[in-house]
Amino acid sequence: MHEDLFLLQNASFRFPEDAKNTLNGVSFSVRQGEKLVISGPSGSGKSTLLYLLNRLYPANCDGIVGGEIRLFGKQADEYMPGEINHRVATVFQDPDSQFCMPTVEEELAFTLENLHIPRIAMEGRIAEVLELTGLSALRHSIIQSLSSGMKQRVATACALAMKPEVLLLDEPLSHLDPFTAQQFIIWLDGLQKKAGLTVIAVEHRLDLWDAFFDRELSMGRSGRITADELFQPKNPVLFPERVSAVESSTALAVDQVSVEIKNKKLLSSLSFEAKRGEVLVIAGPNGSGKSTLLKALCGIYKRSSGTIQSSGIGYVPQSPEFLFLAQTVEKELAFSGTSSPSEVAELLDRLALVQLKDAHPFSVSHGQKRRVAIGAMLADNHPVLLMDEPTSGQDSAALQELFALIHERVQEGLTFLIVTHDMEFAAAVADSVLLIKDGKMTGKFSASEVWGDEQLLASHQLLPPKGADRYAGSFA
Amino acid sequence: MLKTWKLKEIVLMSLFGVVFGIVYLLAVHLGNIWAAAIGPIAYEWMFGIWFIVSIISMHIIRKPGAAVLPETLAAIIEVMLGNAAGPRLILSGVIQGLGAEAAFALTGYKRFNLAIFMLAGAGSAVFSFVYGYFVSGYAALDPSFVALMFTLRVLSGMIIAGIGGKYLADSLLATGSLRGYAIARAKKGDAGA
Amino acid sequence: MQDLLHEMNPSIKFVLVTGSMLTLAFFFDPWTPAIFWLAIVLMQLFLSRVNWKLWCLMMLPFTLGSFGYLWTTLVFGADDTSEILWTFAGISVTEEQWKHALSLSFRVMALSTLSLLFALTTDPVKFVMSLMQQLKLPPKLAYSVMVSYQFLPVLKDEFIQIQQAQRLRGVLVEKHWWQRLLNLRRLLLPMLAGAVRKAERAAFAMEARGFTGAARTEFFRPVTVTRTDLFMAILFSSVLVGSCAAGIVLSN
Repeated sequence: MHEDLFLLQNASFRFPEDAKNTLNGVSFSVRQGEKLVISGPSGSGKSTLLYLLNRLYPANCDGIVGGEIRLFGKQADEYMPGEINHRVATVFQDPDSQFCMPTVEEELAFTLENLHIPRIAMEGRIAEVLELTGLSALRHSIIQSLSSGMKQRVATACALAMKPEVLLLDEPLSHLDPFTAQQFIIWLDGLQKKAGLTVIAVEHRLDLWDAFFDRELSMGRSGRITADELFQPKNPVLFPERVSAVESSTALAVDQVSVEIKNKKLLSSLSFEAKRGEVLVIAGPNGSGKSTLLKALCGIYKRSSGTIQSSGIGYVPQSPEFLFLAQTVEKELAFSGTSSPSEVAELLDRLALVQLKDAHPFSVSHGQKRRVAIGAMLADNHPVLLMDEPTSGQDSAALQELFALIHERVQEGLTFLIVTHDMEFAAAVADSVLLIKDGKMTGKFSASEVWGDEQLLASHQLLPPKGADRYAGSFA
Repeated sequence: MLKTWKLKEIVLMSLFGVVFGIVYLLAVHLGNIWAAAIGPIAYEWMFGIWFIVSIISMHIIRKPGAAVLPETLAAIIEVMLGNAAGPRLILSGVIQGLGAEAAFALTGYKRFNLAIFMLAGAGSAVFSFVYGYFVSGYAALDPSFVALMFTLRVLSGMIIAGIGGKYLADSLLATGSLRGYAIARAKKGDAGA
Repeated sequence: MQDLLHEMNPSIKFVLVTGSMLTLAFFFDPWTPAIFWLAIVLMQLFLSRVNWKLWCLMMLPFTLGSFGYLWTTLVFGADDTSEILWTFAGISVTEEQWKHALSLSFRVMALSTLSLLFALTTDPVKFVMSLMQQLKLPPKLAYSVMVSYQFLPVLKDEFIQIQQAQRLRGVLVEKHWWQRLLNLRRLLLPMLAGAVRKAERAAFAMEARGFTGAARTEFFRPVTVTRTDLFMAILFSSVLVGSCAAGIVLSN
């Protein structure tokens, strides 16, 4: 006989600033040992729902809760601050903002101190959870020096140090590349089997999880549950097939480019060309020099030798807002004064930004920010566009939007160089792939020859795209 | 006092302290070693930079303590960053913060407009000047020179901290990122009225 | 021996340094700050493992500042009736003014050396932990500071990236630094907007791990007060009292 851990009946939630509810009529229960995933588009209230289960809401946003929420058989609002967090632990999405102490050991101790564990017992608990999670070797490591994947494991270890009954996961993979994410899931699966935890996750990239979950709760845009069913392993996001728009004239010629900063060789002697209308994906392990290459091409970093020939290179950083200087979208495009007002108006129209032209560039959605950034680069006369990790942390709708954006632009004769770890996305957009490792170029390959070569991809810490045959075939 | 504060608000204030710490470290401080040789007056006109965190935080959070706490946190962080001025920053941080806090307390934390922010900037300047008068021994200087320093510092507090702080917090509000904070709710209230 | 200043309890060190600083403010003779300054340099020499190259580099602006004080006090010193020592370019300097000028300059040197002593021998994390454990800084404040400190490398990196990106858009590096100050607003906006997001995430992560701001009952690594601290407190106080006494005797 299983007891319900959580029971929600007709629960609703509204932020005090909003007129409309974020959650409406939500009813479900969670039983011990379940592995439940809550899915849905961004804005469907799935994270809000999660925060109602660990009591971060309503207190943190003065939100208004309706209906009934029972946690471990007790009314949610009867819990003291912090009380529930001993039994419900959470791992969040951003590996960079979950730690307040310098080393792994001290971070674990911070958690145990919060629970008022006696000092003599702390040592044992720390050793035990490090053993359980296989992180013993990292005990004295500085957290900020670890990779994103390792940081997420440390965050999980901190959660488990509390010996919780339920583990909540708030999009834990969104800042990890697919290769690292897959390793994290394998690790977590082993951990779950050992510790027998109840897991509730919010996730938008379900394809990476294989068969980890046993139940799926789908949320719709109106903040209602649209389905509650057995979890089925998901296929990756499917992009439309696109016809290459590569033209014959060269848009970018890179010859023997090297970058050396503070006597450290970051890139050695790269040479390649890109045509008008070409989409070139740049891929390789973390720290291999991909971002350095982009920054060298657009002139942020000085190259120590070599030549770059192009009619103008623009750059869109991972956070497009880093580029923004003006108070409205329209002024943002006009900032440099390179384009005439009528050219700016035409660009706004082409990028579907007319409706947003008076909006503050910081206040629009992430996908719109990227369009504004591209617009600004085009207004500055940069027909070769470099994009740094545009796929990171994006849900499937955002990826589709990005796909369409790139596809439309190359029809206009623009050239894209895109750094990404997401091989499904790469397979859908790329005409060619540039592989980099340890600051050296392995080669520029045509897309169709790369996707089938599992060995080549693995040596660059990349997963072959699912359904690689389809892509290899379509280019053949 | 801390009971009414959400943790995210306190973290926000100390993060602002880090941001300004970095800005100061990377953008302002370096080129200015030579200004030191000009003597104490060289820094007077830019003193307002030190007070700006108080104004921004109070404008956004609007709770008692929102002026003195961020200055204190920012000072502790400056010390952690290895600022050579060391522990004396903490004391001066608290005192400056109290100066701004006094201005907001005078109005019962009810009004938040440009005049109050400039008054708060001036308050920080006055408090910090009295403290500086004592610690740096301005008593040994000619009164008219002291008066000049004082005027410069108060003006800097009113303009850089008061006007600049309000401008920055308002720009931040325009970006839409302050949802859920008192400043955003107040603005909504205005629009509704 | 050379570990003493490093091993000291940071809060005790903080109180001693701040106390000495406030005490010095009551003295306007040149001897007190001068003797105290020398004593602090000697303490650093024998009781710490300071990188002296770095020390000199960091002292440079303060030394310049001390000259600034010297001439400011000479030129703009308060008038008095004591004997005029010398006159130069229409500015006459009295005996009192000269003493005050020297005193203030030595005070700048003494305070700066004292601050450097603290900065170069204190571990920042231990300092905050000690503020919480010895001086009762509320945990909410202490851990907020800690979590912000962890963001330092991320924010520094962001700052540089924003600067690079904005330069690419045609924002120039201004010559005059008041222009740079005005341009800072553009750099600050994305930094501050990012800080708002990060603050919420960090606070949620802390609360999700049971942090409520309540006083802690036990620490994994207590920061202790030991006999070394008693010894150092006595040493500091003796140096301070000694310099003050010597100053009073010598100036009469």
